[in-house]
Amino acid sequence: MNVFRIMLKELKVIRDPKMLLFLLVSPLVTMLILGTALTGAFNGSLSVGEINVLYKNNSSASDFSRYWDDFTGQMRQAGIKLEKADEKTDGKTEVKNNRYVGYAEITDSGLEYYSSSQSLIESGIAKSVLTAFADRYRLAAVVAGTDSEQADAIMSGNGSESYVVEESLNATRKPGAMDYFAVAITTMIILYSALTAAQLIDGERKRNTAVRLLASPVTKIEIFTGKLAGLVVLNAILTIIVVLISKYVFNAYWGENLGLAFLILFTEIIFAVSLGLGLSYIIKGNASGTVVMIIIQLAAFLGGSYFPVEEATGFMGALSSLSPLQWSNAALLELIYADNMSATINAMLLNIGFAVVLLGIALTMMRRREGL
Amino acid sequence: MNVLEVKQLSKKFGDFIAVDNITMSVKEGEIFGFLGANGAGKSTAINMIASLLRVTKGEIEVLGKNIAKHSKFAKMNIGIVPQEMAIYEDMTAYENVRFFAGLYGLRGAELKERVIEALAFVGLGDKHKSYPKNFSGGMKRRLNIACAIAHRPKLLIMDEPTVGIDPQSRNYILGSVKKLNELGCTIIYTSHYMEEVEEICTRIAIIDHGKIIAEGTKGQLKAIITNQKNISIEVRSAENLNKSKLEAIAGVNRVEVEDRIVKVTSDSEINNLNRIIQQLMADDLEIRAVEENEPSLETVFLTLTGRSLRDQ
Ligand SMILES: Nc1ncnc2c1ncn2[C@@H]1O[C@H](COP(=O)(O)OP(=O)(O)OP(=O)(O)O)[C@@H](O)[C@H]1O
Ligand SMILES: [Mg+2]
Repeated sequence: MNVFRIMLKELKVIRDPKMLLFLLVSPLVTMLILGTALTGAFNGSLSVGEINVLYKNNSSASDFSRYWDDFTGQMRQAGIKLEKADEKTDGKTEVKNNRYVGYAEITDSGLEYYSSSQSLIESGIAKSVLTAFADRYRLAAVVAGTDSEQADAIMSGNGSESYVVEESLNATRKPGAMDYFAVAITTMIILYSALTAAQLIDGERKRNTAVRLLASPVTKIEIFTGKLAGLVVLNAILTIIVVLISKYVFNAYWGENLGLAFLILFTEIIFAVSLGLGLSYIIKGNASGTVVMIIIQLAAFLGGSYFPVEEATGFMGALSSLSPLQWSNAALLELIYADNMSATINAMLLNIGFAVVLLGIALTMMRRREGL
Repeated sequence: MNVLEVKQLSKKFGDFIAVDNITMSVKEGEIFGFLGANGAGKSTAINMIASLLRVTKGEIEVLGKNIAKHSKFAKMNIGIVPQEMAIYEDMTAYENVRFFAGLYGLRGAELKERVIEALAFVGLGDKHKSYPKNFSGGMKRRLNIACAIAHRPKLLIMDEPTVGIDPQSRNYILGSVKKLNELGCTIIYTSHYMEEVEEICTRIAIIDHGKIIAEGTKGQLKAIITNQKNISIEVRSAENLNKSKLEAIAGVNRVEVEDRIVKVTSDSEINNLNRIIQQLMADDLEIRAVEENEPSLETVFLTLTGRSLRDQ
């Protein structure tokens, strides 16, 4: 109950129209500027690069090759190049060296696909196409056992039934500038809440209200939890508003699974808030604010807030993978454009994991301290 | 019953001893004054009682219960008016009091009633919806008090609640303190202002360098220095006064001039009134009245600590 009261008190910032305007307007304006100014640079191709897939066909099934050739032909038209590897080539190494976004090996028992860890989106698209093909072929193979004409009908499809859902392949569903920055700026402003979090306890100390809180029959943990919960709820509300405005007013694409996207963003809020709070305990005084600011700026720069880093390789790629924003951005793009859950879970685990560690440190240090 | 019992309490900050082995008790219904110069250790002692600082050594009991063991009980029964203003500028006066009172478990209609009562008590009954950032210093101080009394504490600790405010607000606050006390609240009152302490406190402890060096009622404290007398001489103009010659007279300890009053503190054993008056006449001062009075608390303080309360 006390936690709830303290939480509600934290939410009172919303009443200040100037503050609210600032919190909402600055991300939306940034989105609008980057999203429109960089439209040319994106042109639907910047984020999703060439999709080159290497394959080896070791299948002995007689009619398989026919279907496969049809399939590769269709895919070429859609912009996915399926290239046959010669016997000596090691497909997995090729993928590792980033020459292909994926490698497919077809045997009698099925289709195995090795995905590149660098071109996640491209590889994801290729994977979903191949999965769709495998599903159909298996269906066709079963049907073919009884009636080969019908199998033909199923495999060739008729226009409306392509191998993947339209949006994964058509140019419109590669992220445009606005689509990209809607995601990147949302994750960035969430990280900025670390700055508020760094001031969370210090603010009470500076206003001297920490004294009253400590003198009241409320435990330090309750104060801590209440304030933290307030900040998380505040940012969750702001995030939802920003995302919905970007979706319905700026027409940014947020994918089919908005709930899951919010979940990723929510774990990022928890991470960001814990980061600020943790650092404010580890680094005393005003310096913590400066350090948090530097971390945010670096994370934004390296994590793709101002330009996409999906393509980054080598040193830059290694650096960008250190940015907490990179996890969340990659997970969201994967989720939105490739329907890939593994990156989602990865990002959520990283966000929560770091949050637990940082909060643990903050709590331990707070207990030792005389004041808050 | 003793509302507060402090036994051999000490506080160290590193090697520095801010509170040095103090023992004291406050009975129900008292207004207990804590008198001390800057840095004497008043706030440190008070903050330990209010559970804001950890105790280095010693014991504190509130209403008969050890505060280390019954932390929640002690906190429920204590209200603190911190030396520094402790309010949220971006919340209205009403919201401030309600928030803090709510932390003491007050709810619903009762909470509302107590908040209104507390604000009315400090004379902010018509300022419910105002934000403290628009308040004068005196109004902020009063809100600072309202936040501490809404939960009706048995023991109210006030750390210099009248510092830096206009006389009107100060009088209002002093009146409120007396009224609260009449309503049954026991009060610990810290101040730099001798007159305040002298006016409202029933018992006084003088604290210096972390130690309580004297304690008792006004009368008892003054009795400590019966060897001192205060002589006030009203003159037409004190311009020509030769202070050093006056101080050189045997028995005279101190000479202070306030407007047209020359105040001489002297050993009561030595009869030097004649020589003092002769000296003033030699300086060509026109004497209007001479008065010998018992020493003030100020004199007690000066004599005991060797320093003045205020000018540091
Ligand atoms: N947190 C702290 N760390 C180190 N020293 C401290 C701390 N708090 C107080 N002190 C020192 O302890 C001594 C007593 O301080 P305290 O605030 O109790 O004095 P005070 O009597 O309340 O003075 P004032 O009239 O100025 O409020 C001072 O010398 C002060 O510098
Ligand atoms: Mg003090």
